[in-house]
Amino acid sequence: MPYPGPYRPPAQPAAAYLTAAPVLAFENLMKSRGQGGVGFELHVPAFAVRPGELVALVGESGCGKSTLLDLLALVSRPTRCAAFRFQAPGGATGALPIDIAALWAAGREAALARVRRDHLGYVLQTGGLLPFLSVRQNLELPMQVQGLANVPGRVEAWAARMGVEGLLGKKPQFLSGGQRQRVAILRALIHQPALVLADEPTAAVDRTRARRIVADFRALARDGGSTIVMVTHDRPLMDGVADRTFGFTLEQVSDTLTRSTCREGVG
Amino acid sequence: MVADAIIPPLPQSAPRSARRTRATVLRLALADLGHEWVLTLCLVLALAAVISPLLILMGLKHGTVETLRCALVQDPAYREIRPAETRAYDPLWFATWGKRPEVGFLTPTILPASSIIGAAKPDAPGTQFLDLIPTGAGDPLILENGGAIPGAGEVVLTQVAAEGLGVQAGDTLELRATRSRGGQPEQGVTRVRVAAVLGQRAGTLARVYAPLGLVLDVESYKEGMAVPGRGWDGGSPTPYASFDGILVLVPEPLTAVQRAGLSINTGLTRSDPLTAEAFRLRTGLPVPPDFHVYELGIQSGAIQMSSVRTIKDKLRGTGAILLPYVTDTSLRFAQANGEALAAPVFGLSVSADDAARLGLTPPPWGALRGELGDSTRLLQVLLPAGSVSAASTAIEAEARPAGGTLHFTLAVAGPGVTGVALVPTELLGVLRTATDRPITYDLGSGRFLLARTGFQGFRLYARFIDDVAGLERDLRREGIDVIAQGQAIERIRILDRGLTRVFWLVAVVGITGGFAALIASLYAAVQRKRRELGVMRLLGLARLAVFRFPIYQGTTIAGLSILLAILGYLALAMVINQVFAADLAVASQACRTAQRICALPNLYLPIAVVATVIVALVSSLVAAWKTTRIDPAEALREE
Repeated sequence: MPYPGPYRPPAQPAAAYLTAAPVLAFENLMKSRGQGGVGFELHVPAFAVRPGELVALVGESGCGKSTLLDLLALVSRPTRCAAFRFQAPGGATGALPIDIAALWAAGREAALARVRRDHLGYVLQTGGLLPFLSVRQNLELPMQVQGLANVPGRVEAWAARMGVEGLLGKKPQFLSGGQRQRVAILRALIHQPALVLADEPTAAVDRTRARRIVADFRALARDGGSTIVMVTHDRPLMDGVADRTFGFTLEQVSDTLTRSTCREGVG
Repeated sequence: MVADAIIPPLPQSAPRSARRTRATVLRLALADLGHEWVLTLCLVLALAAVISPLLILMGLKHGTVETLRCALVQDPAYREIRPAETRAYDPLWFATWGKRPEVGFLTPTILPASSIIGAAKPDAPGTQFLDLIPTGAGDPLILENGGAIPGAGEVVLTQVAAEGLGVQAGDTLELRATRSRGGQPEQGVTRVRVAAVLGQRAGTLARVYAPLGLVLDVESYKEGMAVPGRGWDGGSPTPYASFDGILVLVPEPLTAVQRAGLSINTGLTRSDPLTAEAFRLRTGLPVPPDFHVYELGIQSGAIQMSSVRTIKDKLRGTGAILLPYVTDTSLRFAQANGEALAAPVFGLSVSADDAARLGLTPPPWGALRGELGDSTRLLQVLLPAGSVSAASTAIEAEARPAGGTLHFTLAVAGPGVTGVALVPTELLGVLRTATDRPITYDLGSGRFLLARTGFQGFRLYARFIDDVAGLERDLRREGIDVIAQGQAIERIRILDRGLTRVFWLVAVVGITGGFAALIASLYAAVQRKRRELGVMRLLGLARLAVFRFPIYQGTTIAGLSILLAILGYLALAMVINQVFAADLAVASQACRTAQRICALPNLYLPIAVVATVIVALVSSLVAAWKTTRIDPAEALREE
């Protein structure tokens, strides 16, 4: 099914999404990692992201943000968890929620990969753009992978929204750090995935620029109908931007075990 | 509208999706190669630098062997099988062997001694002597050396002969067959047109190739015969007489010195005294009481008339009477009443004087003569007195020499001696000759004629060079010793095998190195691009799709390399062939096709392409396997 064409702003206010069923939700999740006799446990009592939200995961390095991001990205298997569900957006008919926990339990990695491909988008710390493709090719790639017909003018329209329309013919190596992140964000959003995971997308950019990037990110995601979970160590950056914020509390259980608990509003 | 905007696309159907994914990965792989074009170019050059010399080496090997082979296969000389010795081959032999499918060409030849013929431009005084060789339709020596089979009145010359004579194709040539008859030199002349001059390869001897008819005519003329068709006069082919032994009757016993002298320069090897009884048994004649009888003989073969003459000279003055005899006379008479005449036959040609000395009626045909042209004199008989047919005027006779049956009629000259039929010694001598070589009796002229004995040799060419060995073996099995150059092709085969082995040794080293480089480079690239490959996985490309990434790259690099290598090969081959062009001119002429010292069969290049791509495919599997170890989660973490 082709995209509806060039970007058009939605007619309804964004707040309407907030009442919908969560895109992703789990409860009582635990992930334990052990390495060289030093154990680490991440506990998440409850987590849910609703359509259109921007959820911030804020914490210092080593607090387990990346571990949680891997879990959300469906690339890391939770050690234990209750009711891990992903609600694929189903339009008018509504699709049944996908039981991620069951897929992990059954070892159905291909099914998980399919969910990732169809519904998730990623913004990596340094962009993760393919260096051998031009900006335009990078932006077109997610649509090609998913077999979507490219609507003429669509890439240009989306690029204009992110302010990178003049860079389409360039290779990533010729972009500045901020430009690269904008393109990376655009690539994560362009096929309008249900959930976009962003890992410190503005780490390499100064605060002022970072705020503008996050603002554009948010606006575009909401207009495209995508939900954002963004990991950052920079709490002030998220002030007034994030719909909800999750923080981490670390406790040293023993000499060999560190436990981190992630809760909304903490930190 | 908003609802529309957030509806994600449905996945496409699986097969189209698989093809689409492959196309996407291929595009990515190519884009990556293009992005790192310097590395790609280096790798392509490195592989081409390995493959190109291998192609050159293979081309040189193939070109060299083919040039050698071609010279061999194309040169009819290597298909020739020559008799190693002179012996008689009858027409039936030629008919049988000529029909064999492996025989490309077969013609009888004449004795080398008869094949020398003089040649000159018409009316020019100087005569060049050439070897006259028979040819005929399909003669590969002529056809494959730029000649045309000569028709009647035409000949083909070797280059040496043509240069010596100063003639070219189309010129008229005078052939002069010479002989000496009765001490007088004679010359039979015929004019022929030079149909063609053969290329150098056909041989360096001065030779003239002519239709078999002309060659046989020349042979006949040289043997003293007339060839009416060419206006050459001479004798008719009268058979000569030959004998098994000579009985010598002398009034006085021969001294030891005289007897020893009889075996010097006469061709005779023994002289034994013969008792009267033995003489009677052998001849059917009584021995006159005042004569001593000796029997002269020969170890093997026949005694010719010349020997008889020599003995006669040696015994001049001793009053010797010579009675040459034939051991086995196959002469039979059919009497008028149908009964066979049982009496033995003896040849008695003596003068009236000698007949009187022996106490016999002188035979009407008189003494022994060398000249046998008078057939009336030869065909007479004195039948035993008292036999049934003694009174008839003629009697049918039949002789069965080895060659066949001869029927002729003898005039009954009267009654002879009791118990023995007497005929001219020369008649028995002729019939004796008929056991050695074919003699016919010509009813029309009433003469014995020497028939062609067959031929003393042959020129044989196998159809294909590979047939030579088989023909050679079969001819030897028939007891015909032959000479062939069959080993030449085997030597080339050995050379080819050796060169092929060397090529593969070099190829294995080169290819191993080249593809080790490709494997290492692809593997390193996967290591280097773990993150990019991870991102590709994260974007939704399946494990097996990313698996293809290095395979596409390896195959593309190999494909570009082999194309470059082929271009390099073609350019180098052209240079090499030009450098060797002069040396190859001879070979090219021989093969009548463009010869190249560096050449590959058409099929080799596509095979090289396919083989290279397959090896590249296999080489890239290591790197491809490595990609499957990449977890998309790796791309998420950025340490």
